[in-house]
Amino acid sequence: MATLLKTEGLTCRFGGIIAVNNCSISVERGSITGLIGPNGSGKTTLFNLITNVYKADSGHVYMRDKRITGMAPHRLCQQGLSRTFQITRLFWDLTVLENMIVPVRQVGFRSLLALGMHGHEKERALSLLKRVGLDHMKDEPARKLSFGQQKLLEFAAILMAEPELVLLDEPAGGVNPSMIRFLMDLIRSLNREGVTFLVVEHNMGLVMELCNPILVLDQGQKIAEGSPEAVQANPVVLDAYLGD
Amino acid sequence: MHLPSLNVLTQVVVIGLLTGGVYALMAAGLTLIFGVMRVINIAHGAFLVLSAYIAYWLFNSFGLDPFLSVIVSVPLLFVIGYVFQSQLLAKLRNEPGLVVLLTFSIALTLEGVMGVIWQSTGRSIRTWYTSQVWPVTLGDITLRLPVVRVVGFFAAIIALVLLYLLISRSDLGRAIRATVQNKDAAQLVGVNVARVQAVTFGIGLATVAGGGAIFSLIWTFNAGSHEEWISKMLAVIVLGGMGSLPGAFVAALLMGMAESTAAVMMSSYISPIVFYLILFLTLIFRPQGLMGTIIRKG
Amino acid sequence: MKQLRRWWPALALIVLLGYPWLYREPYFHVLGFNTLMFAAMGISWNIMGGYTGYKSLGHSAFFGLGAYLVAIAHNQLGWNPLWSAPLLAIVVTVVAMFLGWVMLRTSGSAFVLATIAMLLIFRLLALNLKEITKGAPGLSQPLPPWSPEFSRMPFYYTMLVVLIAALAVSMFIRHSRFGLGLLAIRDDEGKAEMVGVNTTLYKVVAFGVSAYFVAVAGGIWSYFTTHISPVFAFDIIVGVEMIMVTMLGGLGTLWGPVLGAFIYIPASDLILFRFGSSTLHLVVLGVLMTVILLFLPRGILPTIAGWIEERRAPRAAHEGARSMIEMHEERIA
Repeated sequence: MATLLKTEGLTCRFGGIIAVNNCSISVERGSITGLIGPNGSGKTTLFNLITNVYKADSGHVYMRDKRITGMAPHRLCQQGLSRTFQITRLFWDLTVLENMIVPVRQVGFRSLLALGMHGHEKERALSLLKRVGLDHMKDEPARKLSFGQQKLLEFAAILMAEPELVLLDEPAGGVNPSMIRFLMDLIRSLNREGVTFLVVEHNMGLVMELCNPILVLDQGQKIAEGSPEAVQANPVVLDAYLGD
Repeated sequence: MHLPSLNVLTQVVVIGLLTGGVYALMAAGLTLIFGVMRVINIAHGAFLVLSAYIAYWLFNSFGLDPFLSVIVSVPLLFVIGYVFQSQLLAKLRNEPGLVVLLTFSIALTLEGVMGVIWQSTGRSIRTWYTSQVWPVTLGDITLRLPVVRVVGFFAAIIALVLLYLLISRSDLGRAIRATVQNKDAAQLVGVNVARVQAVTFGIGLATVAGGGAIFSLIWTFNAGSHEEWISKMLAVIVLGGMGSLPGAFVAALLMGMAESTAAVMMSSYISPIVFYLILFLTLIFRPQGLMGTIIRKG
Repeated sequence: MKQLRRWWPALALIVLLGYPWLYREPYFHVLGFNTLMFAAMGISWNIMGGYTGYKSLGHSAFFGLGAYLVAIAHNQLGWNPLWSAPLLAIVVTVVAMFLGWVMLRTSGSAFVLATIAMLLIFRLLALNLKEITKGAPGLSQPLPPWSPEFSRMPFYYTMLVVLIAALAVSMFIRHSRFGLGLLAIRDDEGKAEMVGVNTTLYKVVAFGVSAYFVAVAGGIWSYFTTHISPVFAFDIIVGVEMIMVTMLGGLGTLWGPVLGAFIYIPASDLILFRFGSSTLHLVVLGVLMTVILLFLPRGILPTIAGWIEERRAPRAAHEGARSMIEMHEERIA
């Protein structure tokens, strides 16, 4: 099964405006796929449709050939789908470590009643925190972290759910260059470990270096798809960005 | 449960309609406040009763007819509402979840104060026209309509039309509508949102002053009555769609008719359950009411 | 000082156990009973209102339901309330979970309104289903069998047991994975859903559990007061006072409701005693609640905790954060 995620004819309207228009994309397993397009092309709306934050007017979403359109968010997570947000969302009053524990997949009733955290879960959380350089902050409330640290925590926390596919919504937004480097290395090493990524980004440098293939959206539809070189040379893509 | 005759049924429906008009005036302020500030003002019922007490006091001390007492009570309640929003509710701007509780605590305080001043005796205003009935004949059907209810209905309609004109034609009304649509955008084009909110709260309470004057002529009340009346008003605005004035109007008429029909067909003890059930079911199954907007959600 | 921190619950328990013997007047036993009852109910309400953030204003519906179920079972089946209350409260919990499932389709203010409507519906039903509840005049139960010398004391101790049980359950939830999920829901429900928390299930269960001890309290209360009626059993003020003691002590904390009850109930009783009128009582309750909401919105315990944290390391926190960022940037450079 090479295709991990697929959308078919997804359409979503807000009042008179069509945000996503008969959009069909697919994401290959094991890839770091980029999703770009000019402002208002529907990238975040597409994410919201895939994760069922918005209800689609028509069309479907498939994960591993299983229809997941309209599936409840917590079940999507169990299917192996996770996402981050453009504006970082964390549990601000919980500690860093607690933020890591909430996403752990609950198995069976007993795990709910578990006091504190199971040994191996705590180990996994701490090792992930170490990987992003946050283990020394584990007992601080999340709101005390700096902007960059918050983004890292959001990323690390969703990894606790052991996702197969991670949707990243502008991971490099407002982040300094050395942090961007760090994020790219992290994404690559996680990808080597088997995680597939779909990345929405405006930072072209990052996208061209990190992602292959790249999907291009304009006005809610896919207008191009291919390797970074192919996309950069594609006149339709240039038109979409420069035209109108 | 028994089916009444056509005459009785028509009588009951018409009375329900007339009553509904008064409900609409009472609830208009509540839905307006929600539309502009997203606040459910649970104290609205207490302010209704307060207005009724003011009318009562003016009537007993000066012989002032309740319909005229609005000269005093409407501006008074406007000021109270303005101060209330700008000095108290605005302080909780960062904790929206607690605002409802604050309005609730104000309702309790008001109930307590009114109870201390006027005790628990049921009050009502009886003027020279209170027991007069207006007979109306439509073909075979003879209706006997209490004058207070008819006059009250038309007074309510006049007040609602004035309110509607204010909202739709004036500059203030435009500012209010802009704030309802998008608070931040309104601020960006120069609307003083804080002032609009305070004024709206004032208008909201001013309308309930009008409602209270009519209310004092038709119903008996004491300090504890606010609980029953806020529930009715909440049911009306939820059914109509919170924030929608036309919705509140339609819902009020419907509720008035449903309530009086139910009172005739079942015992009048249980007829309030009509309101509570409608409130409950609407919240669950159609939270946007009849005319509110649908929030898109997965 | 550290010893006090560890042992104060035990000390408090000893004081509470000895209280009815030190103060023999029935008045003090009644006061103690009410204080313990509202502490237990506050703890119960807090499991929903404090941990998940969904504040139910109609929780006294479960109080009344527990009261009536126990009273009717006592009259018709001869069940002694002291053991039937915890049992029948399970029935109330099931009802609460069902109603909760229906009402939790809404959120925020709509949820609050729905709970109020629920309470009002229950009260109307109690007033009108006269064959079962005897309607407005209410119904009575047989008096307790123990000698009048003890009078209210057994009720006091029963409620102490209920309080301890409620505290234990609340403590357990708070430290469990389930409780962490509830706190996540309060923080950001949408995000909680997206990281895999079955928010509907969690909220429904929390709502049910939050109803349980309130129903037990209602059942015991019905026996304590012998005669119950719809207006008093389904009184919105009881629900408000549950919230009051929780908010006063600290919304979402473990001990907050206990602290709040031990302050508020005796104080309110004192005011009733001095001024004698029940509407003045409402004024006090209303003003107190207004003041707390405006000036102490988080309650006593969290506010004190905040002061202590401020005083301990205001500047150190800043420096600490800065050096951590530097360390971090070194690491990734």
